[in-house]
Amino acid sequence: MADNLPKTPQLDELEKGGWPSFVKEIKMAAKGSPMAVDLLGQLEQSYTEKIGHWKHGGIVGVMGYGGGVIGRYSDLPDKWPNISHFHTMRINQPSGWYYTSDALRKLCDIWERHGSGLTNMHGSTGDIILLGTRTEELEPTFEELAKIDFDIGGSGSDLRTPSCCCGQSRCEWACYDTMGACYDLTMHYQDELHRPAFPYKFKFKFSGCPNDCVASIARADLSFLGTWRDDIRIDQDAVREYVDRGMDINEEVISRCPGNCMEFDGKELHIENSFCKRCMHCINIMPKALRPGTDTGATILIGSKAPIIEGALLSSVLIPFYKMEPPYDDLKELIEEIWDVWAEEGKNRERVGEFIQRVGMGNFLDAIGLDPVPEMVAHPRENPYVFFEEDEDEDEDEG
Amino acid sequence: MKSVDEVADAMYEMVKDAQAVKKKLKPMDLTKAMIATYGDEVDKKLCKAAIKELINSGRCVYTYFGGSFIEIPHREGAAND
Amino acid sequence: MADVQERRTDFGPPHYEQFLPPVIKENYGKWKYHEILKPGVMVHVSETGAKIWTVRAASGRLLAIDKIRTFCDLADKYCGGYFRFTSRHNVEFLLDSDEKIDDLIKDLADIGHPVGGLANSITAIVHTQGWVHCHSAATDASGIVKAVMDDLMEYFENMKLPGKLRIALACCLNMCGAVHCSDIAILGIHRKPPVIDHSRLNKLCEIPNVSASCPTAAIRPATVDGNPSVEVIEERCMYCANCFTVCPAMPLNDPENDGVSIWVGGKVSNARCEPMFSKLAIPYIPNNPPRWPEVTAAVRNLVELWAKNARKHERMGEWINRIGWPKFFKMAGIEFTKMHIDDFKHAGLTFKRSAHLTF
Repeated sequence: MADNLPKTPQLDELEKGGWPSFVKEIKMAAKGSPMAVDLLGQLEQSYTEKIGHWKHGGIVGVMGYGGGVIGRYSDLPDKWPNISHFHTMRINQPSGWYYTSDALRKLCDIWERHGSGLTNMHGSTGDIILLGTRTEELEPTFEELAKIDFDIGGSGSDLRTPSCCCGQSRCEWACYDTMGACYDLTMHYQDELHRPAFPYKFKFKFSGCPNDCVASIARADLSFLGTWRDDIRIDQDAVREYVDRGMDINEEVISRCPGNCMEFDGKELHIENSFCKRCMHCINIMPKALRPGTDTGATILIGSKAPIIEGALLSSVLIPFYKMEPPYDDLKELIEEIWDVWAEEGKNRERVGEFIQRVGMGNFLDAIGLDPVPEMVAHPRENPYVFFEEDEDEDEDEG
Repeated sequence: MKSVDEVADAMYEMVKDAQAVKKKLKPMDLTKAMIATYGDEVDKKLCKAAIKELINSGRCVYTYFGGSFIEIPHREGAAND
Repeated sequence: MADVQERRTDFGPPHYEQFLPPVIKENYGKWKYHEILKPGVMVHVSETGAKIWTVRAASGRLLAIDKIRTFCDLADKYCGGYFRFTSRHNVEFLLDSDEKIDDLIKDLADIGHPVGGLANSITAIVHTQGWVHCHSAATDASGIVKAVMDDLMEYFENMKLPGKLRIALACCLNMCGAVHCSDIAILGIHRKPPVIDHSRLNKLCEIPNVSASCPTAAIRPATVDGNPSVEVIEERCMYCANCFTVCPAMPLNDPENDGVSIWVGGKVSNARCEPMFSKLAIPYIPNNPPRWPEVTAAVRNLVELWAKNARKHERMGEWINRIGWPKFFKMAGIEFTKMHIDDFKHAGLTFKRSAHLTF
């Protein structure tokens, strides 16, 4: 098959250079896959014409599920018949993207039999992406995947495949077990993940510390950022070691502290922890000397999203500190409260962050039964358009 | 309480009627309509089970057109043979 | 086909524990500190004294199964069969001794996967599908990423930058991925409303769905030349392609007008300052495949400007906030235009509301 590859002078240019080449990958797959051969041909055509050649399908999937398969058809099926159908399957990745060679070889063998032999490791949301197969291959692929314990991920108006950083498996900064929490909630909400029942997508992302390696605060509807309530742990000997090895601690660490709560007297580093903003900078710069405290948990934030429809949002604080310990019962109760309110009142394609903007955070908190706290706002309101509720003084004698 | 099958049948009729006028329904539309029609004889949990039955039996499928819907299987505009 | 009731469903992902190397299982939650030993190589040390070495290699996200099998072979040879991927598509090999690190790095180099991307470097570009697989792509994703990273390789393979620099690319404004909070974001853009094929629209698409698909309510039913169809209120269209998703008779891909825009100064980390969105730097660069030289030059210009002028640990957005946007535009040689001024909701909050100006 490698002998009759289409001519691809444009794409061949992208085999040059030091960064791994996706063109080489497609050509590698083309040795065994007619789909990859035609993909190469169509992509070369896109490069020549400066335009894509795909149509979106909205109906294909595996039986019983409403998510995890993205329908895709070439708009040049006569010219590139082997990619007439080129559907994507999203496969729920294991927490932290850890694998054994044994498990991945089995996955590759299945994809060799049923699809293009091309993948993304991984897609933006975190799934293993199996790139390109025909409608009639979807069900048999799923059947084989099930035998090696890989289930399909989310798409459409459902709980999207949750993802997490590597957390406590290999990071001293992780303030809770991100991989455990991600797995627990993924398993608990299998129905919500596979059967879209929401107004639009809903994402959980778990980062072990405020460095937020999975960009939770920018794209998750519920963002779980690890944090701590007690004092940063300091190894003063290690601090001095950094200084002795030439670090300008005042310039690199202390002057960059957003809480202005650090001081170095030449021998010891002092931190006024009650003013520490838990930003991670000093810990990032001196990982041998400083560690988060031991009273750890997560700040839970709500509502981030990309621009479509009403503009991009960052998540904002919902629960300033939560212990994040299994079985996460009260967390699950809160999640279900949020889903109930949003599913009932949300409009089609309205993310929960947009919903909160529309109905007002105060009303949203009332609806989910959460008390307002000052940690939720950057500052209190600046306008005087306060809506006083009529029964405001009824509870007076309770006070 | 209504049975799962009764609710699923009623939902199927709704989907069929909607599709005849090229309207798409979301699971929550069906659930709300069932609660409006049957009152205390149904609840959200029962509706969820009925939707699952509707899908598992193959009478309806989930579709995605800028949001997820429930429809009777059909050939879509974008499909190739 | 098997009866759906007998099928195994809702079993979820495999449990991660079976994929963890023994040293990780034994030291889960006990890691004490880490050190970056050289570009792409770090060691984590446990409270128990145990150590694990990580070798991080670049990967292009799009992988053939034969490449994954090659990674598997390397994992068998060096790491007892265990390896992982990162949130930015890199591949990481986890070793329980430091003896064979250089052999592994050499093997990775031989298969075209350089090692790096740690600490003050530029790591792999988070990106989307582009022309490889997406119907609404305004540009290719993998091709620009490849060209930009080829050009920036030196910054992946060493750690000489003032701080971290994160680049992301989305091939249209639907933005799969956290492109909108990156130090440099490359965003594919359409610039013209969809072109409607009135003769076929009613056959291919369902008019109520087409109207409903529009986030800004710019599409309404209309009869054109006797055909039931739709019309687009062009002032309201922001080229998201959601109508095209629902209806193939409304293409908006356009070779002459599609291209990319470049955004700067976003971040997701809480380190030092709060997370920030990226802001518009360059409104439009035409598509110029296969290697998008204007885009790679623009990105390099921004990287080098920041690298030369930022203080240690200062991210792109922190540096710009310190010097002010007027200086940024002047130093970057980018013309400031009407397009740079926000006119969407709450635009007023982005106006300069003080006399804090530098000259």
